[in-house]
Amino acid sequence: MNILIFIKQVADTEARIIIKGDHKSLEIENKYNMNFFDEFAVEEAMRIKEKNKDVQITVCTIGSQKAVEALRTAIAMGADRAFLLDGSKAATNDPLAISRILSAFAKKEGFDMILCGRQAIDDESANVGAMAAEFLGIPHVSAILKMEVVDGNAVKVENEIEGGRGIFEVKLPALFTTQKGLNEPRVPLITGVMKAMKASIPVVDPATLDIPQEAVAAEASKVTILSYESPQERPPVKIIEGETPEEKVKNLVKALKEDAKVL
Amino acid sequence: MAKDIFVFVELKEGAVRKVSLELLSKGKEIAGHFSSSLYAVLIGHNVKGIAATVQPYSDKVIVIDNEGLAEYRWDTYASVLEGILRKYNPYAVLGGSTVTGKDLFPRLAARFGSAIVSDAVGIDFHDSGIKIKKPLFGGKVISWITCSEDSAIFITFRPNSFGIEKGSLNGEVIEEQFEAAKDPKMNLAGTEKHVSEKVDLQEADFIICGGRGMKGPEHFQVLEEIAGIMGGRVGASRAVVDSKWREYEDQVGKSGKTVSPKLYIGCGISGALHHTMGMDTSKVIVAINKDPNAPIFHYADYGIVDDAFAVLPVLREALKKTREEI
Ligand SMILES: Cc1cc2nc3c(=O)[nH]c(=O)nc-3n(C[C@H](O)[C@H](O)[C@H](O)COP(=O)(O)OP(=O)(O)OC[C@H]3O[C@@H](n4cnc5c(N)ncnc54)[C@H](O)[C@@H]3O)c2cc1C
Repeated sequence: MNILIFIKQVADTEARIIIKGDHKSLEIENKYNMNFFDEFAVEEAMRIKEKNKDVQITVCTIGSQKAVEALRTAIAMGADRAFLLDGSKAATNDPLAISRILSAFAKKEGFDMILCGRQAIDDESANVGAMAAEFLGIPHVSAILKMEVVDGNAVKVENEIEGGRGIFEVKLPALFTTQKGLNEPRVPLITGVMKAMKASIPVVDPATLDIPQEAVAAEASKVTILSYESPQERPPVKIIEGETPEEKVKNLVKALKEDAKVL
Repeated sequence: MAKDIFVFVELKEGAVRKVSLELLSKGKEIAGHFSSSLYAVLIGHNVKGIAATVQPYSDKVIVIDNEGLAEYRWDTYASVLEGILRKYNPYAVLGGSTVTGKDLFPRLAARFGSAIVSDAVGIDFHDSGIKIKKPLFGGKVISWITCSEDSAIFITFRPNSFGIEKGSLNGEVIEEQFEAAKDPKMNLAGTEKHVSEKVDLQEADFIICGGRGMKGPEHFQVLEEIAGIMGGRVGASRAVVDSKWREYEDQVGKSGKTVSPKLYIGCGISGALHHTMGMDTSKVIVAINKDPNAPIFHYADYGIVDDAFAVLPVLREALKKTREEI
């Protein structure tokens, strides 16, 4: 079975982010990780590989040369191969362009199953998985919490639905996005890290893929970021005065009623 | 061409979700600006009776009632919506950034080759069109985005992004028939829903969150009581969920849910960035923590520095009293 995983390198939540003077670009501190939800995808693929014969795990990402680090993390966890899709000329802010490129790559490489995180924690968009599945004409199930390979060509999954869980039987090929709760991602062993350091990671130019190039070029982006701004600052906290818990609660309720007007 | 606005109406246990009424309220404002029409799109089985709930908020209500639409699935819902959108050609389609919205909208946007902006929190006018407000990096940056208008723009908004206006319209109901095409490769073998009287965490106006400082699952009882009094929900930090004191669906934060209630109260929560990223858009934030240096006080509007166990029972009684006064 060929498992393909789409991953994304994202700024660490602790990374400092500065909005440049023109409000058109950002300066992001050099602290990046593999997207939190993608780790569950890599882990799940590893578990399938450990239980079944002839499983090959391929990871890919669209990004700059730097994104190779995230691919190496996936190899350290156990993935067999990795590809970097050069994002320098593509409309990387546009989920439509990203999913077109990823699906074209998937078509070229071939796959039985695609896994990716349920959303990226930088833009919280949650778009690329379902969009790539649409371009590939395959089913998808979002936010899976449990997966069982029934035989080589079907899986049973449980996923998060509104107010509960859904249980789906899906024929492969199909795409699944992974949610926290699916598994506990492993911490790479030192041998894995060594292997990842040495792995050669080919760079693929999206122009070599079978997609209308005008549809994925930076100029073709369907979405344009007009400006960036800082979030509104909250006024400093008002510490509620009082000698006893009773007094403090009384003063808090008064403030919530009279100042904040939320009671 | 008229810039008609469509709102995908989400239902929960046969009732219209609050987020849909928020979007209809905002949608009316946008359609008003463009002198176009606001359509509510109501899809499901036995939903004709529900049209009356959205009629006051919409110029037109499109209803597709069909047995194949009883349970939400992206394949059937997308096939029906595709039919509607091809027929009516709206300018923008709005939906909630909910489990369902996040599953359905990208599938449709890809099908139409359209612009999609998800998890937005605001919208405004720009040139002859619109611009959309979307937080990035857990709210550290706010972006404003414009979209190509050559096909319908798909946008999902976080619940609680807009207020609900009083509906004074009486939208015309239009019944449509479109086939609910199932993807034969995908079989829904069942669902497990925990029947819950409680409001959805993301839609709740009131959330009281407990952290590790609550010391154990048994101490969440008082939080449940307070949430009950306020008609809201109990949330939890990741430390609490990881300790299995509460379910993952209660987790607020970067790897949990993003919430923006009118009032958020954090008890025994330190205010780690991963947590505050999920709640700092709350309208009013109260923190109860015994450590005056806890980072949560940087985000809070009001703070009580004290032992949560001493404060919470008193708070419960005080809130009960305010409810009785109404
Ligand atoms: C990738 C990643 C994702 C994460 N995602 C999330 C997320 O989605 N949500 C989330 O919440 N966290 C998340 N975290 C974890 C986060 O970084 C913090 O570890 C977590 O939020 C801490 O939880 P806490 O505030 O309950 O516990 P602590 O940090 O241990 O804080 C406990 C607080 O309780 C106070 N306290 C103790 N006793 C009392 C008392 N009797 N009365 C009053 N106060 C008391 C203490 O002073 C302290 O401030 C994530 C971390 C990572 C690495």
